[in-house]
Amino acid sequence: MDKVIHFKIKRQDGPNSQPYWEEFKMPYAPQHNVISALLYLREHPVNTRGQRVAPVAWESNCMEEVCGACSMLVNGVPRQACAALVDDLEQPIVLEPLTKFPIIRDLAVDRQKMFDALIRVKAWVPLDGSQDVHEPAPRISPADQALRYVYSRCMTCGCCMEACPQYHDHSDFIGPALFGQVALHNSHPTGGFFKADRLHALMDPGGIAGCGNAQNCFKVCPKDIPLTHAIGELGRQTTVQWLRDLLMK
Amino acid sequence: MTDTTPGLLDRYQFQLRRLHSLSGIVPIGFFLLFHLLTNSTAFLGAERYDTHVQQIHDLPWLPVIEFLFIFLPLAFHGILGIAIAWQGKLNVRQYPYMDNWRYTLQRITAWITLVFVAIHLLHFRFAYWFGVPEYASAHPYFFAFTQKGFLHLWLPAWLWICMYVIGVSAAAFHFCNGIVTFCITWGITVGVESRKKLSLVAGVLCIVLMLWGFVSLYALTTMTRPAHGAAEAARGSEQRISTPYMARHETPSAARE
Ligand code: SF4
Ligand code: SF4
Ligand code: FES
Repeated sequence: MDKVIHFKIKRQDGPNSQPYWEEFKMPYAPQHNVISALLYLREHPVNTRGQRVAPVAWESNCMEEVCGACSMLVNGVPRQACAALVDDLEQPIVLEPLTKFPIIRDLAVDRQKMFDALIRVKAWVPLDGSQDVHEPAPRISPADQALRYVYSRCMTCGCCMEACPQYHDHSDFIGPALFGQVALHNSHPTGGFFKADRLHALMDPGGIAGCGNAQNCFKVCPKDIPLTHAIGELGRQTTVQWLRDLLMK
Repeated sequence: MTDTTPGLLDRYQFQLRRLHSLSGIVPIGFFLLFHLLTNSTAFLGAERYDTHVQQIHDLPWLPVIEFLFIFLPLAFHGILGIAIAWQGKLNVRQYPYMDNWRYTLQRITAWITLVFVAIHLLHFRFAYWFGVPEYASAHPYFFAFTQKGFLHLWLPAWLWICMYVIGVSAAAFHFCNGIVTFCITWGITVGVESRKKLSLVAGVLCIVLMLWGFVSLYALTTMTRPAHGAAEAARGSEQRISTPYMARHETPSAARE
């Protein structure tokens, strides 16, 4: 076993147990990504001290960076493990679970907070039934489509939340990913029906006021979602909504 | 997102944060510019400085103006700012991006400025609490009085100067970066490009404000006589020149060295 792949993994047996580090070495093979390497380790869960241990737990689905399930810190950077190619990484490859979400086990975290927040801001397009409404579908300009397409690629992976200094367990901040989704759905002709509701949700405690403009979120997003653009846009929309509430109620 | 009943600060988080952002520009930022403007007249000569300070002291309703447009906003911005500062967990070591540095520096300069403003107020505005004559009583020799505050009051001059250099720089950065975040918060600059341009303008402004402050500091601490003797002569204020600047305040309490 000349060439090896060396992992250093932060493990935790359960939600409330103490974390600990464990190292693994496996034979090198070209073109591994972190998940495929972890699959190998699941078959051969032997650490560097030769002990057979419980295999490392993690989540993954799509294996092509579109589901977001495999997000973790790879060498300290929040990203999708399935898209992290071993050949590109410095060794030992350090894997840690995301720090802003409750840990289920080892590298698997519970991102439920994000899904709850999506519900809170009504991040969907309302439909009032499947009957014929005798209207053609709303028309959307290609320029709008292009911007919205970018927003629509968000996979709720949580990398932006991980990098945001304002998002942590002592703050009620809703987190950057939600701004992309609110901007997306507010700009949709039918989705816009809920615009005021969404803006009010963002004006509630923990909403947009929680953002400190550090702009880390945009830098780490694997899908290049223009979150800072969304934050600026929603800053404007909430300003207008606020004035409207003040003057028209 | 917990369902404990939120306090006032939480319930009006959005409104308070917006007012916090606004108060940093109007009136505090404007006051900062005005203050730098007045101070820098020291560079044009003690006479000019004395005249401008006197004009301010002659404003009607001065205590009310001072309270409503300076002390109240400062207290609001400062106290709420302290509350906000606790909400962030700095992570610039992990994510050393330029904007993250600015976010971090905005918080660091906030603390420095807070301490500096407190010192500055005690140093001049409220020094009379400690037995120094009131600033207003220096009439009409404000320049000399201020200079004395730097050179012969409580601390060695170099220490005052260091404090003011640091304080003025921190305040300038905090204000200029505050303009950038103000424009994001209120949705004035939305796109990344517009933000970059504004940051550039703010950066230049920051340097200008710092230099502007240093010029005043230089003038107030080193210039010993009116720089523009010509202006002096033009006013024909002979007897004023002959009046020793310190004379009025060589009272025992102010003259400890
Ligand atoms: S905005 Fe980007 S980083 Fe954030 S959850 Fe969506 S895809 Fe992930
Ligand atoms: S810009 Fe706002 S949401 Fe994005 S990382 Fe910074 S504080 Fe968080
Ligand atoms: S498995 Fe879906 S993003 Fe990695």
